[in-house]
Amino acid sequence: MESSVLVKDAPLPYCKGCGHGFAARALGEALETLGRPAHEIVLVTDIGCVGLADSLFATPHTVHTTHGRSTAFATGLALSDSVLGSGRLKPVVLIGDGGAMIGLNHLVHAALINADVTVLVHNNFLFGMTGGQNSAFSPEAFVTATTPGGNAVPPLDLAQLLTASRASFVARVLASDRALSDVIRQAIDHPGFAMVEILELCTGFATKWNALTGATLRGVADRAGYALGVLHEVRRPTYADSVRSRAIAASSRHRGIVERAGSASLTAPVRVVLAGTAGERVQTAAGLLAVTGLSCGLEVTQKNDYPVTQGTGFSVSEVILSSASIGFTGIEQPDVVLVVSDDGLRELRRNGTLARAGATTLVVADSTLAVGDLPGTVVRAPFRQIAGGKQAALAAIAHWLGLSLLLPRERLAASVTDRFGAEAMTTLSDVLGRLSDAAM
Amino acid sequence: MPTHSGRELLSGNRMVALGALSAGCRFFSGYPITPSSEIYQAMIEELPRHHGTAIAAPDEISALCYCVGASLAGYPAMTATSGPGWCLMIETVQYALMTETPLVIAVVQRLGPSTGGATQGGQGDVLLTEFCTSGGYTIPVFAPATARECYELTRVAFHWAERLRTPVVLLSDKEVGMTYEGVDLEALDHAPVTPRVAHRDAGRYLPYASPCDSEPPPFAAVGGETRVVATGSAHDQAGNLRKNSREVLDILARLQTKVEAHAGEMADVVTDLQPGAEILIVSYGVSARASLDACRRLRASGRPASWLQVRSLFPVPAAAIRTAANGCRVVAVVEENLPGLYASVLDGALRDLSIRRVTRTGEMIPPSAIVAACEEA
Repeated sequence: MESSVLVKDAPLPYCKGCGHGFAARALGEALETLGRPAHEIVLVTDIGCVGLADSLFATPHTVHTTHGRSTAFATGLALSDSVLGSGRLKPVVLIGDGGAMIGLNHLVHAALINADVTVLVHNNFLFGMTGGQNSAFSPEAFVTATTPGGNAVPPLDLAQLLTASRASFVARVLASDRALSDVIRQAIDHPGFAMVEILELCTGFATKWNALTGATLRGVADRAGYALGVLHEVRRPTYADSVRSRAIAASSRHRGIVERAGSASLTAPVRVVLAGTAGERVQTAAGLLAVTGLSCGLEVTQKNDYPVTQGTGFSVSEVILSSASIGFTGIEQPDVVLVVSDDGLRELRRNGTLARAGATTLVVADSTLAVGDLPGTVVRAPFRQIAGGKQAALAAIAHWLGLSLLLPRERLAASVTDRFGAEAMTTLSDVLGRLSDAAM
Repeated sequence: MPTHSGRELLSGNRMVALGALSAGCRFFSGYPITPSSEIYQAMIEELPRHHGTAIAAPDEISALCYCVGASLAGYPAMTATSGPGWCLMIETVQYALMTETPLVIAVVQRLGPSTGGATQGGQGDVLLTEFCTSGGYTIPVFAPATARECYELTRVAFHWAERLRTPVVLLSDKEVGMTYEGVDLEALDHAPVTPRVAHRDAGRYLPYASPCDSEPPPFAAVGGETRVVATGSAHDQAGNLRKNSREVLDILARLQTKVEAHAGEMADVVTDLQPGAEILIVSYGVSARASLDACRRLRASGRPASWLQVRSLFPVPAAAIRTAANGCRVVAVVEENLPGLYASVLDGALRDLSIRRVTRTGEMIPPSAIVAACEEA
């Protein structure tokens, strides 16, 4: 570690008396007294005059970011290092009041997850770099370039907001306060999210338009109802602590390898549309058909469609089974349409599937559904009555395979057993038996 | 037909996640949005078991900022989103480009504009992803058409992101991402991609000094012993904010040159060419599949036709397309957006060719529509 954190002889890029200069010197002192190697600190700076501070610091890493996002970049640095790396990197964010408001979400989330990040909010009550416009932190009656008659809106109390967001360290200090560097050091030493709001003078604009001096700054805080000092400090697990305490899920969700176990020979692709009601396992049933196709050595695609909602309305799956590779995954003319509910039937009418059914299209429908006149064969069976809504789609597939002999039905049985166990297959066999009785 | 011993039924989205894990992705941050949520879900499940970590972000801006932070710390990073989320990420994509931070963003397109149709496909973001930077810097964009290609091109995206230290977009869509296909995972490449070139010299580190214009600067991680100065503002080689000096302008030029210099290596097209073809059907992503079907139907009806799938949309593989179009009277560009967005790019890049747009929006373009358009051409 070099002996000095601050660049020697660097002129401050700030107006005379600007609070940013006090804050930079206090941060420099805090970093000197921390006793941490310089490379374990990264200063993450926001946009505005405060973002010019990078060049003042000789030894820590510096990352100069976009407006308001500094806290989020810092959070990414902290999360990755604390979970995957040394766990010793401490990002220190330098942000203004304008940046704090545009990036409020980032502050709230960093506080909630207790990211190991220190945020120094340089609050000079306005936008200094762009000409002194008002911010969400401007006190009431404050004169700025955009509130020439005095600001009519009360200022945001960030300390309270972040305390409510479960921040584990919250402080507010005047830039001129000798305790500032010590509070910054405490904040950086704090394991987890820490925010220090530094109340400052903007001598470029604020002091010209308002009766504001170093001596009256405390009065501004008082009138805004701002408490000063370390306002809130608790110890709770950091984000990395929480990740480490949680067990890693043992198994992945994907369905596993389907071994080749049967064969099917198709002279042409078979395009199947399965339609029913969301929440009634239509896509699951279509997936079992697709897996069965895979187990017979076929190429398959399964394309699902549903409304924006997840558990209401229609659910449609389109499965293509083919001996050759599959190009277009939509279905121009279906070979088989299986429809097991009113929701499904309505959608097939709406999306044009039924209109595209030709003389060779087989329609397998629940007995309760009025499918109307269709050019091809229509087979009806009481799927819902016998199998129930949640098994109707699978029953329709099994029933159709029994009629068409396109894929060996025992391969479908194996897929069902693999996925849901032998009991599910016994139930399905029972359903198929009753369907065949019903057909007689 | 290949003999399949064991395959899995996997979606394009799941294959993006598996491709990222195989490539060496260590960090993911996401925010839910249909139709890309499955990638987010898969990375949350899988990354902790693959030496990585994934975190739920409070919004898309945070998600990408978290990824940039992780990548600055040295961890290959990815997020996934769809058009509305991509719009929020554009600010941070530009930051990654300017700071030369490797990043992969999977954009699973849906019907736009605005929130559009969450469960409907579309190919309307092709120019929104490419031309999202002030200054028009080339962002490599790769477009898979199948579940297998989702895996392969995610790996390619990581390769170029790390190789050139730049953001790279993997551009799929609802019908590619949420469609399941049989995939033989064993047959795929599992080797991690080559990581970014590390800074090794003992001397002073200039974070934006590159050995030559076609290469990015060597990388040092924030948090390592070598001090890093990163900035999204115009900067000199040391990372100091500077106004238009020659050095600053040279760095800005290199952001483009380093990508252009590797355009030939990035060019990735798949072709099925027929001697004597009068028409070349060019497409990408989901529409490329219907286009191949259409091409075969045209041939079956006695019209010689060729087909080309663009897998690397940007940089535009103009030379490869020109070669494939040799002798063709018409180049039909098939895509699921109304104006013919990529066709407009090819119009500019291949001015001597006669480009015909075959477009539709709100649904996948069926082979019959492509055949009909080609017959009129």
